[in-house]
Amino acid sequence: MALPSSLEELIEALRCLPGVGPKSAQRMAYHLLQHNPRGATRLSQALATALDTLRRCERCNNFTESEVCSRCQSSKRDATQLCIVEMPIDLNTMEQTHAYNGLYYVLMGRLSPLDGIGPRELAFERLLSRASDGLVKEVILATNFTNEGEATAHYLSEMLHARGIKVSRIARGVPVGGELEYTDAATVAQAFIERRDY
Amino acid sequence: MSAKQRIDGVAAFLLHSHPYSETSLVLDVFSREHGRLPILARGARRPRSALRGTLIGFQLLELGWFGGGEVKTLAKAEWCGGIPLLKGRCLLLGYYLNELLLKLLPREDAHPTLFDSYAEAIGALANGADDAPELRRFEKALLKEIGYGLSFGHDADGAPVEAQQRYGYFIERGLIAIDDAEGFTLSGKTLLDIDADDYSDPRTLSESKILMRQLVSHQLGDKPLQSRRVFIDLHEL
Ligand SMILES: [Zn+2]
Repeated sequence: MALPSSLEELIEALRCLPGVGPKSAQRMAYHLLQHNPRGATRLSQALATALDTLRRCERCNNFTESEVCSRCQSSKRDATQLCIVEMPIDLNTMEQTHAYNGLYYVLMGRLSPLDGIGPRELAFERLLSRASDGLVKEVILATNFTNEGEATAHYLSEMLHARGIKVSRIARGVPVGGELEYTDAATVAQAFIERRDY
Repeated sequence: MSAKQRIDGVAAFLLHSHPYSETSLVLDVFSREHGRLPILARGARRPRSALRGTLIGFQLLELGWFGGGEVKTLAKAEWCGGIPLLKGRCLLLGYYLNELLLKLLPREDAHPTLFDSYAEAIGALANGADDAPELRRFEKALLKEIGYGLSFGHDADGAPVEAQQRYGYFIERGLIAIDDAEGFTLSGKTLLDIDADDYSDPRTLSESKILMRQLVSHQLGDKPLQSRRVFIDLHEL
């Protein structure tokens, strides 16, 4: 028996979420309709409002409700340092460290040659002009330590160097409080290759 | 599942992967004994999955899996080490090799010789050699494995290639001796060197690179190479 078309459409719509297949979409739809209609109303309104009011910050590319987000406008942040991260969630992680007080640029992705994601798709030009504002003295590359994150960091560093900007890369190695015994071999191998004078 | 379908201790490289459901990955793997095949890695995307530090591209792995269907299920993955991580331009070339395998090599046919060529090429790239003979040997091995039987020792008429002669390469015909210098030609010596896997002559290295690119492009047909496009875009900035 066919489902009512509005129910079918809801299930189909939920499938746009990452990792949600037809079965989980069905489960979610029934849950919302049956057990949590108020939650469903709130979700649909929040989604509509977010879509309506959020845009990309002109300076850091993160989501914001104004042209320039409050962090980029803040006089308490050090405008001479610019940290590049892949995703907004990485920015949040950096903020939790309380170790950094500069500004950010969010790439919203990473180079992924096999998926056809290159500098054009990631708007490298925009980032390069942001980093060339005359105030930025150091760019800190905090892309992931995956092959794709490394490729991204490498090419960004070449392009930034060519524009006379100082570039650094966050370090990698054995985690804080980590014991070699419990650290995966690939991490220990790379920590060994990248060992430093001490 | 029967014990027969359990495979263990297979040398393999991870070519690419795609997210599957909330916490898993489908891997596109190139294994020495079983060729290219898709393997489901359950839970590989969980925050503390041990697979995160193991399932790394351009690194020699030892995999075990089970299942008789098209998509296998990963049972075990070990990182073997010995190959430094690829960096910079070499990393992009690594993606190029992976894309060639993904686009040209059919699934589930064993190609141990090609696997060895791939491992050697990755090893050369890991040591920073972005123009290494190993890359040309890999391309040649790939063309041979997919049944593209170009003979580098003979021209289109079956006559032996002569070292002093210059040749042009024509799609669907092969090598033809050419005396005028119009278009891309290469020396007979280059062809004989390729045939013998000898890349000690710098001219052999540079001419073979152009020839291999033409042969590979022909095999790809209208499937564009994403990694090459990204590479070109990057070097234009
Ligand atoms: Zn901002």
